[in-house]
Amino acid sequence: MLKRRGFVSALGGAVLLVLGAATPTVASSIETESSAFITALAKKAVNSLTSKDAARDQRIDRFRTMFNESFAVRSIGKFVLGRYWKKASEDERKEYLALFEDLMVVSYVDRFAEYAGESLSIKKTRGENKSTVTVFSEIERPGGARAIRINWRVGTNGTIYKILDVVVEGTSMSSTLRSDFSSIVRRNGGKVAGLIEELRTKTAELKSE
Amino acid sequence: MELLQVNDPMEPANRGMFEVNRALDNTILKPVATTYKAVAPDFVRTRISNILANLRSPVIFANDILQGEFKRAATTFLRFFINSTIGVGGMNDIASALEIEGHDEDFGQTLAVWGVEEGPFVMLPLFGPSNPRDTVGLVVDFLIDPLRMWASNTERNFVPVLRAGTDAVDIRSENLEDLDDLEKSSLDFYAAIRSLYRQRRADAISNGEGSATVPAPSLGELPGGPTLEAAEELSRR
Repeated sequence: MLKRRGFVSALGGAVLLVLGAATPTVASSIETESSAFITALAKKAVNSLTSKDAARDQRIDRFRTMFNESFAVRSIGKFVLGRYWKKASEDERKEYLALFEDLMVVSYVDRFAEYAGESLSIKKTRGENKSTVTVFSEIERPGGARAIRINWRVGTNGTIYKILDVVVEGTSMSSTLRSDFSSIVRRNGGKVAGLIEELRTKTAELKSE
Repeated sequence: MELLQVNDPMEPANRGMFEVNRALDNTILKPVATTYKAVAPDFVRTRISNILANLRSPVIFANDILQGEFKRAATTFLRFFINSTIGVGGMNDIASALEIEGHDEDFGQTLAVWGVEEGPFVMLPLFGPSNPRDTVGLVVDFLIDPLRMWASNTERNFVPVLRAGTDAVDIRSENLEDLDDLEKSSLDFYAAIRSLYRQRRADAISNGEGSATVPAPSLGELPGGPTLEAAEELSRR
């Protein structure tokens, strides 16, 4: 899939070059690709997360796979821990990342299908730098209520695309988590171990629901 | 960078106020909003939302002008005109159907556009998360509101109270699931709310455009190419 799209956009690029019409107004290929990546993800989310017949555990498993495939989990986890990442030992980092993944998967399994659902429509893209694109999208709501704005920050090396952040109505998932987690670390005397302990309790609590 | 700073010198007092607000929310606002959402059909709730939004138009218009956003001011004016007339007192958002989309503005945002810093985080009683700049904004918006002026000039003081109450229930009913989710998934709900408030305000001030300068995770690419970490991340498929 990726390969074919790559070929098509390469072909498109070649045509533009031949015509000498490669104007800056044309969205760059990573912007087009990022947009296609989000659209494909939305389709996948609808197919595998919204089926009523699947039990919650099963949907959690599916979302875990999708989360690892589509999100830059390690980069996000590192950002969320902020300056405490450097202070954490190798073992702490490992356990933290595993618990972080758990927390994300169990908290967002139901929400994600809604955010990346059928009613998602992409409004525009904006290249932030040569490896990051923001995809602006909206989800329509029934009954004429105002649509919800969702921005996807996508990172890429040119071939692989991963989500770095999801910004819902101006609220970044990563920034909110970072404030939340760093507050916990501070309240535990600057120790990551305290955060890990609380994450353990929290994820156990959410899983048992 | 400001978004990630704590800047909350009154944190203990703010946390205390947060608990008071939460108790009030749990005993009054949330149950009322939950019932309202369960009982009133979508159709009715959307119309009430529309009326409230339409009533805000004069204040939004004034702030559009004060920010020098004349095109947006014209949009606000046109929406108010269309929705108040054809839309029957603002009940129907005809303007949006005509693709004249609405937006919100307030005096706190105007001050921000004028270069006023937000200042330290403050948890207000009843009004919730704020800061000195936005608190001044709340007061100014209240004072310049034509509906409020009319009500106080004609001694109909119940009008602003009724409207504030309806506004609170309307907004709360829109945020029931979001806030429940945040409370459920956060370790420190207060810190999460504080962050959420700051981000929402920054978003409102930028009129939803966001900014590339807002700190966010990155793949850690260096000028010479992706770092080892980015390479590792990208190979994890």
